[in-house]
Amino acid sequence: MNPQFIMDGLIAGAIIGLGAVGVTLTYSILRFSNFAHGELLSWGAYLALAVAGALGFLSAGLTKPIAPFSFGWALPISAVIAIGLTGLLALAVDALLFSSFRRRGSAIIIMVMASFGASLALRSLLEFLFTSKPAYFTKALQIAMKLGGGLRATPDQLLMLGVALVAVVTVHLLMTRTDIGRAMRAVSENPALASIAGIDVRRVIRTVWFLGAALACVAGIMSGLLIQIRPYLGHDLLLPLFAAAILGGIGSVPGAMLAGLIIGLCEALAVQAVGAEWRAAVSFVILIAVLLVRPRGLFGKAS
Amino acid sequence: MTLDILAYAAFFLSMALTYAIICLGLNVQWGMTGLFNVGIAAFVAVGAYTSALLTTPPSPDRFGGFELPIFVGWLGAAVTSGLLSWAVGALTIRLRSDYLAIATFGIAVTVQLCMLNLQPLTGGPFGIGFIPRPFADLQDNALAFSLANFAVMAIVVLALYLALEHLAKSPWGRVLRAIREDEMAAQALGKRPIRFRLQAFTLGGAIMGLAGAAQAHFIGFIAPDNYMPILTFQVWAMLIVGGSGNNRGAIAGAILVWGLWALSAAAVSTFVPAEQQARAASLQIVAIGVGLCLMLLWRPRGLFGEVSPLTRLKSLRAAPSKE
Amino acid sequence: MTAPILSTHGLVAGYEPDLPIVRGIDFSVSSGELVVLLGPNGAGKSTFVKAIAGLVPIHAGTMMLNGRDITHVSPHRKVAEGLAFVPQTENVFATMTILENLQIAVAHLPKAKRGAAIEALFSRFPDLAARPSRLAGALSGGQRQMLAVARALALDPPVIILDEPSAGLSPKIVSEVFDMLKAINAGGVTVLLVEQNVKAALAIASRAVILAEGRIAHEGLPEELASDPLVGKIYLGTAHGHQGAPA
Ligand SMILES: Nc1ncnc2c1ncn2[C@@H]1O[C@H](COP(=O)(O)OP(=O)(O)OP(=O)(O)O)[C@@H](O)[C@H]1O
Ligand SMILES: [Mg+2]
Repeated sequence: MNPQFIMDGLIAGAIIGLGAVGVTLTYSILRFSNFAHGELLSWGAYLALAVAGALGFLSAGLTKPIAPFSFGWALPISAVIAIGLTGLLALAVDALLFSSFRRRGSAIIIMVMASFGASLALRSLLEFLFTSKPAYFTKALQIAMKLGGGLRATPDQLLMLGVALVAVVTVHLLMTRTDIGRAMRAVSENPALASIAGIDVRRVIRTVWFLGAALACVAGIMSGLLIQIRPYLGHDLLLPLFAAAILGGIGSVPGAMLAGLIIGLCEALAVQAVGAEWRAAVSFVILIAVLLVRPRGLFGKAS
Repeated sequence: MTLDILAYAAFFLSMALTYAIICLGLNVQWGMTGLFNVGIAAFVAVGAYTSALLTTPPSPDRFGGFELPIFVGWLGAAVTSGLLSWAVGALTIRLRSDYLAIATFGIAVTVQLCMLNLQPLTGGPFGIGFIPRPFADLQDNALAFSLANFAVMAIVVLALYLALEHLAKSPWGRVLRAIREDEMAAQALGKRPIRFRLQAFTLGGAIMGLAGAAQAHFIGFIAPDNYMPILTFQVWAMLIVGGSGNNRGAIAGAILVWGLWALSAAAVSTFVPAEQQARAASLQIVAIGVGLCLMLLWRPRGLFGEVSPLTRLKSLRAAPSKE
Repeated sequence: MTAPILSTHGLVAGYEPDLPIVRGIDFSVSSGELVVLLGPNGAGKSTFVKAIAGLVPIHAGTMMLNGRDITHVSPHRKVAEGLAFVPQTENVFATMTILENLQIAVAHLPKAKRGAAIEALFSRFPDLAARPSRLAGALSGGQRQMLAVARALALDPPVIILDEPSAGLSPKIVSEVFDMLKAINAGGVTVLLVEQNVKAALAIASRAVILAEGRIAHEGLPEELASDPLVGKIYLGTAHGHQGAPA
């Protein structure tokens, strides 16, 4: 068996993991599974693409690749801007939609349903704006370097793995070491108690939306850079994201990342063993297995 | 000319009624029981393919073709989709309410994959053709053919409607309502909520499978493209517009939304230049998504709904601690 | 008598819009008082204090804190205005450690002062100081109650409301809790105490209020209530003004 599947799996897994961290955070604090989370990945990628395009238009120098990578400064700059914009998009959707349901105390399932409608609208809007033709951040081709042990990776791939690692460690430290992190965990356990402990629950909710969207944007850009950008980019990742969030245990940041990597590796393995056409079924199988054997996941609290 | 219009109207209404059947199935799951199914397309597809396999003539390049009578196909469809629903429900209904939603979403993805890749069973991307149509011997007379098919659909919908109304008033339906309104109290009376929910989910899935079969035989061929997630969205839009929990609303919603959908699609294809049609179609879907959200925000009871499960569902919320 | 620090006027509140549980309560506490709120199970005591804290929807009426209208102020703002609340149940973050629970409580202080504030709480509650990294969910009932009170005191509130802090505790711990409340009150904090433990509560109270069916049924000095057999029989579930039924 070709060991290259490990590299492919790690990359897919990092993307899934970042997205799943967002899912797990929003789930644990807003208490519903957000079917529109995948769309945040797609919107993140397209927003970065649009901003990078505008930057390249302003100054051609920004598109000149930074050796050894395939992209110029336009991408990192636009990534930062896109992260902010994706965060604002999530806040806007919350303000227009979910906050009303929270105010009314609607059933969880109503919010799930609304997220389902929002996902449909957001995805088709992307299709309308950018058409369903795949797009790319760069046209430059990269030569994969030999890493030893039969593994190869392009500099872009290695960089993205590094970015994912840094992002997850940062979020983990944020959750465990800072006021806002503790406040998030407090709200996730008991919103009423959190509010009388002096925590501004609405601010925590806004922070969580922003954070989840920011991570989704990073994952979307990773996927866009290493594979391609399509309106269905996020939708096709939604099942792996949910599977990873549940496998990792709802609310656990390291769990979601680890589970993302597990699912990525399983997918890559399945692609080699069974064929690429069955890739999408892997997360379903894992999801069913988790629900059967250990519904609270690897690091989840017993409910 | 008027005959043509009549034939077309009959055709259109028959199609709308197949959606009404799906909608009635969804109403058993959501309206009566509060179970959220995001994989409607999968249950419809499984029904359609089952019936197609049972009733088509034998074919050398795929499994089956058993040439059984159409009603056997319909029955088989309801049974397989029911079994699939039962399996999904048995796994997830005891868990958090949205795990069922996630699992059904997974089912939809997986069934889509199976339709595409299990070539020897499903015919792959091209699907299955030559599905026998009811009243095929009337086919030369478009009007008679359309009217006969419409009559069949109308009878099926009416029968289902009456059966479901009866069921809602039966002891079983009353227990279901009791569970939805006060799970604890129902449990205290010795009713096992999980069992009743599972039965409702299975029944709803079986009805969706039946709808899939009805649709397949009405159109005459099926392919994976017919069972994309958009089907799920459409049916949800129908039920929400009609008012969930209300069988008449479910039927009316199906006809209304299908009509709007068909009209806007026709408008797109006449007025929008060919190269822009894909884009216009995505705008149409944006409209469904936004419409769904607006209905949830402004008219959670639906346009025709009198009874809303949404208010009742409040008790399913993470119950605030009672002291 | 000093001006009321906390008061409600015609307060109507409940969980569902058409189902008031608190049905019009005019009530006030003066600065420095220790008022005990009594009443049979289901009288609406918890609902009343939760409504004051901002956790139950208010249908009508107003409430004032320190001369300011706080009727529609969100719970965390009320805390900032000086109202601390210890709920009857689920009053600590069970999935977080003792230290984290306290860190949350002192988060309103400038960073430089937090360490000292936590130290002060630990010296007041030595039980908690022993193993600050224990999960709050793993604490005994008494320790939990301590932590919940410590969390509330960390806010350095002028007014503290406690909902049955003695519920489920052994008699020895109960008397410790009551001693502590007395000390807190002696330190100048206004205390509103909901209790089922009638005798012990009346012993430390400066005034008592009895709630029944969402309304104030009786109000008076502790010794009057304790000796009024009718009041004891009707509202406190005891014929002699003895200890009420455990929660
Ligand atoms: N979260 C809730 N949702 C709906 N109704 C509630 C809730 N909590 C309490 N109630 C109802 O409100 C009424 C008053 O309850 P409350 O807890 O205020 O009484 P209490 O006086 O504190 O009683 P106890 O002495 O048992 O603590 C009861 O009828 C109870 O059923
Ligand atoms: Mg109480």
